[in-house]
Amino acid sequence: MITVENLTVRFSGSTAVDTVSFTVAQGESFGLVGESGSGKSTILRTMVGLNRHWSGRIIINGMDARTTRQRDLARTAQMVFQDPYGSLHPRYTIGQQIAEPMLINGIADPVGRTAELLDLIGLGAKFQFRFPHELSGGQRQRVAIARALSLSPRILLLDEPTSALDVSIQAEILNLLNRLRRELGLTFVIVSHDLAVISYMCERLMVMRNAREVETLTREQLRASDVRDDYSRQLLAAS
Amino acid sequence: MTGPLVEIENLRVAFRNDDGSWNDAVRGVSFSLGREKLGIVGESGSGKSLTGRSLLGVLPDYARISADRLRFDGIDLTTASPKLRRSLRGGRMGMILQDPKYSLNPVMNVGKQIIEAIRIGDRKLSGAEARRQAVTSLEAVQIRDPERVMGLYPHELSGGMGQRVMIAMMVVREPDLLIADEPTSALDVTVRTQVLSIMDELVTRRGMGLIFISHDLNLVSKFCDRVIVMYAGRIVETLDAKNLHAAQHPYTRGLLACLPSIDGSLEPLPTLTRDASWLEAAS
Repeated sequence: MITVENLTVRFSGSTAVDTVSFTVAQGESFGLVGESGSGKSTILRTMVGLNRHWSGRIIINGMDARTTRQRDLARTAQMVFQDPYGSLHPRYTIGQQIAEPMLINGIADPVGRTAELLDLIGLGAKFQFRFPHELSGGQRQRVAIARALSLSPRILLLDEPTSALDVSIQAEILNLLNRLRRELGLTFVIVSHDLAVISYMCERLMVMRNAREVETLTREQLRASDVRDDYSRQLLAAS
Repeated sequence: MTGPLVEIENLRVAFRNDDGSWNDAVRGVSFSLGREKLGIVGESGSGKSLTGRSLLGVLPDYARISADRLRFDGIDLTTASPKLRRSLRGGRMGMILQDPKYSLNPVMNVGKQIIEAIRIGDRKLSGAEARRQAVTSLEAVQIRDPERVMGLYPHELSGGMGQRVMIAMMVVREPDLLIADEPTSALDVTVRTQVLSIMDELVTRRGMGLIFISHDLNLVSKFCDRVIVMYAGRIVETLDAKNLHAAQHPYTRGLLACLPSIDGSLEPLPTLTRDASWLEAAS
C-alpha cells in the first residue's frame, strides 16, 4: 500500500530525514516513534505533499507521489494533525469544514455525506452547525478525523492524534480509530512519542532518532522487549 | 519550621458566565502541604491549575476567589497586601509552567533572564556575582557548557533544555514552595525522566514543598509522595502515591484503566462513564 525508499528531506542545511525506507501493507497499522526532531512528522508531511524538497521514492497505492497530481493523492491518503485547536478553521462551521474537501473534489451530495460522517465518528449530524470553539478537544479531534475521511481515503496518516488530549479522551479516540480501521478497511501510519499508544495501535513500528531509522520492530518484539538497539531499550525503559 | 507549609480550606474560584451568574471552577478544595511532593491530578478543566494559581495569587482580576483559609508558612494570603504577595512570588514561591517556548522571554537571552530573576530578589548583588550564581544554577540543572547557554535565546534551546532553564530560574532563589504546572508534558519521554530527576533532587536536597500538577496519573504516582485527584473543581480522592493502584473512587480507577500499556490487552480501551454523583462527592 505504501512504499517509502531512501527518503531524504533537507531543510536549509540540516537533514530532517536521512535515507529512511519502509513499507506498509494494505490494512496494516504502522507506527513511527521517536523524540521531537527525529523526523517522524516530516515523513508524514512529505507523503501528503506538504514538503517539496525531498529525494527518494514514495509510492502510495501504486501512485508515485512525485508525479501524481495532488488531488489524486489527497483522495487516497489524508492526514490528521496533532492539535485539534489549530487544525480546524475557527470561522467555519463543523459542517463546512467536513464538506470543504468534497466540494473541492466535486463529490456528489456533500451535505448528506457530512451528516453520515458525523454519525460515523459518534458526534451526530446536529453538530454540523456548531463552530470549533463550542467543542471540546476530543470532539474537535473527531471532527478532524471526519474531515480526513470525507474523501473516502484508503490511508490515514495520523500525527500524534491524541497527545493534546486528556487520557480519558485519548481512550475514546483510539477506540474510534480502531473501529474505523476495521469497518472501512483503512491503512494507518501513526506518529507518536508514546510507546504504549503505538503498542496498542500498531502491528509494526519503526524507532527513529536523529533523522534516521534505529530499528523496525513488530508489536510482539516490542512487547517481549526483544530490541537490539540501545536507544530503543532506553525509550522502552523510560515509558 | 512548625506547622504545614501550605494550608488551604474550602477554596473556591468562580468566573462570570455571559448572563452574569457565577460559575464555580474550583468548589471547596481543602488540603495542606508540608515539605513533601504533592501531586494534583485531573482532566483539563478540573481546576488543578487554578488551585495552584490561587496560591500564588496570579489569577486574573475577574476571577472571584474565596477561602476559609489560605495560608502559606503562617502568612494569611487572603488578607495579605498585594505588595507582600508580590514579594512572596519568585522569592518564596516559584512556579514552573508547561511550555518553555511561551514562558521565557523570546527577545532576551537566557543569561539575562536568570540574572534578572536573581537581582529582583537581591538588588544589592553585584552584576558579576549575579552572573556567577546564574551559571551555577544552570550547572545545577545539568546543563553542559552553561557559559554558552547563558548567551542563547529561547528559540535556540530544545524543549528539554528550555524547561531546565525555567527550573534553574525558579530554583536559583531557593523558594520554599515550588508549583510545577505540567512541567514535563511538552517533553519527550527520555528527556522527561531527566528533568524529573533534576527536580526531585533539588526538592529533596533543599527541603522544598512541591505541588506537581499533571494529568498523567502514572507519572505523578512514581514521582510524588501523595496524590490528590480532582474532578470538576473538587477533590474526589487523596491517596498515598504508592497506593495509587488501590484507588477507591470510580473516577480514579477509570483514569487508570483507560491508559493503554505496552504489554496491555488489545481489546477496546475502557472509557470513562461519568456519573453525576461525582460532582457532589464530599471533598
